[in-house]
Amino acid sequence: MLTRRLLLASAAALALVSPAFAQEKLKVIATFSILGDIVANVGGDRVDVTTLVGPDGDAHVFQPSPADAEAVAGAQVIVANGLGFEGWMDRLVKASGTRAAMVVVSDGISPISFGEEDHAEEAGHEGHDDHAAEEEGHEDHEGHEDHAEEAGHEDHEGHEDHAEEAGHDDHGHGALDPHAWQSVTNVALYVGAIERGLAAADPAGAETYKANAAAYLAELDALDADIRAAIAALPEDRRTVVTSHDAFGYFAADYGLTFVAPQGVSTEAEASAQDVAALITQIKDAGIAAVFVENIADRRLLDQIATETGARIGGTLYSDALSGPEGPAGTYLTMMRHNLGQLTAALSQ
Amino acid sequence: MNWLIDPFADFAFMQRALLGCLAISLGATPVGVFLLLRRMSLTGDAMAHAILPGAAVGYLVAGLNLGAMTLGGVAAGLVVAVMTGAVARFTDLREDASLAAFYLISLALGVLLVSLKGSNVDLMHVLFGTVLALDDAALTLLCAITTFTLVTLALVFRPLVLECADPRFLASVSRWSGPVHFLFLGLVVLNLVAGFQALGTLMAVGIMILPAAAARFWASSIGGMLAVAAAIAATSSVVGLLASYHAGLPSGPAIILAAGMLYLASLCFGPTGSLAARFWPRAHLEA
Amino acid sequence: MALAIRDLTLGYDRHPAVHHLDLDLAPGSLTAVVGPNGAGKSTLLKGLTGELQPLEGRIDRRAERLAYLPQLSEVDRSFPVAVGAFVAMGLWHRVGAFGRIGGADAARVAEALAAVGLTGFEKRPISALSGGQVQRVMFARLLLQDADLILLDEPFTSMDTKTAADLLAVVQRWHGEGRTVLAVLHDIEAVRRHFPETLLLAREKVAHGATAQVLSAENLFRARQMSEAFDDRANVCVRPRERGAA
Repeated sequence: MLTRRLLLASAAALALVSPAFAQEKLKVIATFSILGDIVANVGGDRVDVTTLVGPDGDAHVFQPSPADAEAVAGAQVIVANGLGFEGWMDRLVKASGTRAAMVVVSDGISPISFGEEDHAEEAGHEGHDDHAAEEEGHEDHEGHEDHAEEAGHEDHEGHEDHAEEAGHDDHGHGALDPHAWQSVTNVALYVGAIERGLAAADPAGAETYKANAAAYLAELDALDADIRAAIAALPEDRRTVVTSHDAFGYFAADYGLTFVAPQGVSTEAEASAQDVAALITQIKDAGIAAVFVENIADRRLLDQIATETGARIGGTLYSDALSGPEGPAGTYLTMMRHNLGQLTAALSQ
Repeated sequence: MNWLIDPFADFAFMQRALLGCLAISLGATPVGVFLLLRRMSLTGDAMAHAILPGAAVGYLVAGLNLGAMTLGGVAAGLVVAVMTGAVARFTDLREDASLAAFYLISLALGVLLVSLKGSNVDLMHVLFGTVLALDDAALTLLCAITTFTLVTLALVFRPLVLECADPRFLASVSRWSGPVHFLFLGLVVLNLVAGFQALGTLMAVGIMILPAAAARFWASSIGGMLAVAAAIAATSSVVGLLASYHAGLPSGPAIILAAGMLYLASLCFGPTGSLAARFWPRAHLEA
Repeated sequence: MALAIRDLTLGYDRHPAVHHLDLDLAPGSLTAVVGPNGAGKSTLLKGLTGELQPLEGRIDRRAERLAYLPQLSEVDRSFPVAVGAFVAMGLWHRVGAFGRIGGADAARVAEALAAVGLTGFEKRPISALSGGQVQRVMFARLLLQDADLILLDEPFTSMDTKTAADLLAVVQRWHGEGRTVLAVLHDIEAVRRHFPETLLLAREKVAHGATAQVLSAENLFRARQMSEAFDDRANVCVRPRERGAA
């Protein structure tokens, strides 16, 4: 009798106490949707990810709300892109008083700069020649020679200076291009940084994170290979594309396409007639066939250019944010594949 | 001479930009002259903020659909304009204070509505265009509004002038006072919203007010002011577009700065009421 | 009666400026309104035009057209309009919002300007006129309005003697044409000479009728007793509403 009652009492006590030992998820903040997806893939079930700038959102003009500050305050890890992409982050972190660990995923990559004077030119992807050491796959160097004929083009040598130059105020980001995730090889480095950051905050889960990261890296490798194959299949003279947003510098650098844009990266810069005219002339002269609209910018200017040059509007490219879950770019992997599909479809005609 | 003609001859987008600017010079600038004379010159800026809740409702209903947001914006603008006029007529509060009060209320409401949807899309940025991106729909809208404005102004010219010059007299001899007041406010809203959508805030408000202000120093009759203002607006447009083309300046600001320089020149050297007339008066006549 | 006023109270911020006034004006009468400063004379005219809403009482106006000359011109003097166009506004009752202003009308404008001594001023902008000239321009506009009830608030203050005399003659002519005229004036001598009827007002009616009787020493003394300032400690007025026949 006594024993049974003792046993029942202990069972009851244990039942009351055990929730205290139940597994709590790691609270992670990701600054925008693309990072949010990558963190979710590395963290898996052990993390609870909150994204600040959601799908189809514009991080350039994001204004944090009190709810965001609250989420940041309660987080254990914050994952941000860096390179000036989240101009509002410092203030938010300070205002929330959070003690979370900060992971800036772009710390490990080699950043590139935007093109100097004329927005209508390519972003400084030529600078990659100097960064060749760490990175793979520069098979498409040959494509660079073609670019020398384009209007107002600058020499490769000049680009070493760009990294140090100050005063690229017209871009709103400073000199460096923050859209590093457009190169899959950079995202592989992101994964590493995230994995280390999560393991530091939650050592118990280190093995899980390592496994998740490895699995995701495998998928990234496959994606990277697919992209290179698809681009290589394009004819040499069909590798120039017009977009409305100067956000594909890293993609261009890594995979050998050329992107030209009529405006700077920030969605606030206003176009000049000279830029637009130069772009129209360039498109007409080079016979560029496709013009792409990006999911957060104003497409009217692009429509105007397309009408005048007879170029096709090739579809929507996703640059700064994922689409909603039902859209064609709900995760990073699907986003890159979608973009690739759009590009190759328009350029192979 | 080539540098004058070529940009417009070679590029379709320049032709459309020019046409759009000319349309607005004929439609919005005359409205601006009357705004100036009624001491309501800051209405444009206030109105840019006042239309936010209308655009927000359009956005909540139909997403980033330009048509819905424009319609919403016009509706909100008209409501604010009418309320402003009504308060000014029936209470002791004057038009400028009344407008300030309503546009602030409207703006706060708009910000609230936008944050309800939770997305951080910059609504206003989507709503405001640029003169270099005028497609067929925008051009047609601009020309239609200009035509409507000119016809309306011609029709109600006399009561409108009276309402500006001596409102009490008009109220004592006719019942036109109220209708013409609100009709005028309606024209203001229409021209502003169409201008915002097609050309952006800076250009729409700038082209309405700056030429009118400059014309003050040239003409001493209303008809004269209207003609001079339209001419200055058209000239600024051409100069601004050429500067944007040849010197790579952003188009909207270039046009407005051109208008600004013409204003400063008029302020200094215009024939009537300018600084020159004050500090270096011409020799007086015999009688 | 061209004008029947019953128990009219007009005021600002609940303080009466015109207090329980009863008045009847016969059609074609020529009446001056006199009284000390702050007696409510201008206020009365503003109430008659409808600009001020009565705090109490009723106004019955049986005139077809009303013309009003305000004391302080509230016209925007910087407005770019010429004298001729301004005066032509008086023709509104003939041409309305859309009618053409033809040659005959231009002649009428010239005639009106001549009557106020401003011949040849058609093209001059309003902004170039002196205060007195603006007053005369407004008088000219009034002439064209062809009204049957005319309210004048201190019409001769900024004018020289000759012009004032000329315009007084015009007023007499109106009287002869059967128009009802009510004019607020400061010059008691001119009133005695030219106005057959007078209303002596000191917030309340002191006297109304033939000028000679109204402007007696006794009445004038009573009028001067009226206090000009509003009484901040005044109680609510509880006078009986109906006053019977005027």
